[in-house]
Amino acid sequence: MPGRCHSSAAPQADPSLRKIVLVGNPNVGKSALFNRITGTYVVVSNYPGTTVEVSRGRLRLGSTDVEVEDTPGMYSLLPITEEERVARDILLESHADAVLHVVDAKNLKRMLPMTLQLIEAGLPVVLVLNMIDEAERLGVRIDTDRLARSLGVPVATTAALTGRGVKELIARLGEAGRGRTLPEIYYGPEVEAALARVEPLVPARAGLCPRALALLLLQGDERLEETLGLSAADVERMAEARREVERRAGAPASLLIPERLHDEAARLADEVFRAPEAGRVTWVERLSKWMMHPVTGLPILAVVLYYGLYKFVGGFGAGTVVDFLEGHVFETYVNPWVNDAVTRWIPWRWLQDLIALDYGVITLGLRYAVAIILPIVGTFFIAFSIIEDSGYLPRLAMLVDRLFKAIGLNGRAVIPMTLGFGCDTMATMVTRTLETTRERIIATVLLALAIPCSAQLGVILGMMSAEPRAMAVWAGFVIGVFLLIGWLTARILPGEPPMFYMEIPPLRLPRPGAVAVKTLTRMQWYFAEILPLFLLASVLIWLGKITGLFDAAVSGLGVVMGWIGLPKEAAVAFLFGFFRRDYGAAGLYDLQSRGLLTGNQLAVAAITLTLFVPCIAQFLVMQKERGTKTALAIAGFVFTFAFGVGALVNVVLTALGVKL
Amino acid sequence: MKCDFCGRWFSEDEARKECRGCAVFGGCKNVKCPYCGYEMPREAGWVRWLRTRKEKRS
Repeated sequence: MPGRCHSSAAPQADPSLRKIVLVGNPNVGKSALFNRITGTYVVVSNYPGTTVEVSRGRLRLGSTDVEVEDTPGMYSLLPITEEERVARDILLESHADAVLHVVDAKNLKRMLPMTLQLIEAGLPVVLVLNMIDEAERLGVRIDTDRLARSLGVPVATTAALTGRGVKELIARLGEAGRGRTLPEIYYGPEVEAALARVEPLVPARAGLCPRALALLLLQGDERLEETLGLSAADVERMAEARREVERRAGAPASLLIPERLHDEAARLADEVFRAPEAGRVTWVERLSKWMMHPVTGLPILAVVLYYGLYKFVGGFGAGTVVDFLEGHVFETYVNPWVNDAVTRWIPWRWLQDLIALDYGVITLGLRYAVAIILPIVGTFFIAFSIIEDSGYLPRLAMLVDRLFKAIGLNGRAVIPMTLGFGCDTMATMVTRTLETTRERIIATVLLALAIPCSAQLGVILGMMSAEPRAMAVWAGFVIGVFLLIGWLTARILPGEPPMFYMEIPPLRLPRPGAVAVKTLTRMQWYFAEILPLFLLASVLIWLGKITGLFDAAVSGLGVVMGWIGLPKEAAVAFLFGFFRRDYGAAGLYDLQSRGLLTGNQLAVAAITLTLFVPCIAQFLVMQKERGTKTALAIAGFVFTFAFGVGALVNVVLTALGVKL
Repeated sequence: MKCDFCGRWFSEDEARKECRGCAVFGGCKNVKCPYCGYEMPREAGWVRWLRTRKEKRS
């Protein structure tokens, strides 16, 4: 069935061609093509009311000048960024005679959804497959005739950097808007029913065809509501239509519509796009699929965790490097020298305690920050940056999507969870990117409870790298708690399991330069943040010792340590943990290196500290993001639960006679 | 810059708008992708300087 929009007054081709607009994703060579077409006659100015730059130029066609406008990069007609809003507004207002949708020929499948949107919007589209030379070098073959027939628009191939195909493209501009035959895309009964209700509310002559505008409004485009000047009653009708779709389909239109467009684009790409038969690209694609498939993806994840975290962060960072810095540099040189100098030159005991000895700012605060936490966090950030730069994270999101659905989340929650391994406080703020309040609460609980931050994780891996059985008990309990609490929270909080959809960017070899820059930037930020806090913690401990509060708290907490089978000295580490998780973890590391913990105690302490109440910063962010009541409830639950699980592990191991 | 999670491109100015309403007001040295919310380190001054020089040369 021909689209309703497509029969509307089509712009005439030459000689009435007056205006051309270039649109497309960022980094597809759009500006290079613009420069090729317009030459040197270019004016760059800010789009009215924004700081977004728009370039305008002229193309000489015979004896007439055609205005050419280059829009900022956009991924969809539904804008998220200001650049996309400007690009969409230009399309709405410009009444272009030809809209050149410039795409990267190598990644046709990812870009076709927007082509479909533009055609569906009734725009006179010419699809430009740019970077065709690169695509051909990689062995990609595209059946452009078939693509043009399927889409009902002219399709041209160009290599804007070399100028290949640009003349032919210009010669075909006049074909824009003629003979469009793209069948109307069917979005399913729920969306179609809503469209039938919404479409009559869209004002005529709004730049795009009413169906396309209705689709955008159904996806919650508030900016468009303003632009179209909809009345308050119509805005409410739109909102009701959206709610109705979600009620009936179990997913929002903002998810169903792009998903349908993506399916249609994938179908088209399968018909016309031929990837290279063999070679590196195919191998990479295969690996990419393996990473997302549950059967092969989980072993790959295990390998990444084993070598990336256990061996590199736990073995090398927390073992070799910490041993050198802590055991050799600090214990052999720095601390003895500082203690000696302080006791020799400073007569007041209270000042000696502040600077050096057991809990001084140098011998404890600086040592923890420089000799224990920094190497661990540094190696963690190296591993994390490599994983991040390779493009593995979005594949991990797809892999765990099914598992996460069982705990009321979806693959999107990989973002806060992964960031949580860096810093739980930041990750708690990122939970706001999750779609529903229910997901945000579940993710916040799990971050507070079962996701250790980088330093905590590194210290725990370091302590346990020599005790694999204790490590297995720790990993088993923490993963079990993560899944159990997630599952229970999802049962307690009402709501539907959310849907997840994302386009997967290409997999690539990590770039050493990018990895180094990311690692250094993260380390710089982390160290600048923790050093003052660690020093402050030492001062607070010193104050606590002077006033007697520290000893009272340690002896009070010592009783709790007894309940979970830990020596009373462990109370100090837990007291540190109240201040900051990583400070507590460093305290635990200290205990273990002094040989004060058995294998069982190590497992119990690591489990309790991992599940332990979030640090002060995380609690404050929880309070800001979720409100005081929810934050207090989460913290109260986590605190009780952590010690409860610690006690349970101790009882179970003792009852079974297990000696780790 | 390119998001390390979703692979989409965005300008740092655009990303800075995401810091509004955040508890640390951008003091975290991170950049937040406006498309997926993933946070990654902001380009350090010295890296930007090197990159600009390289781009000018090429």
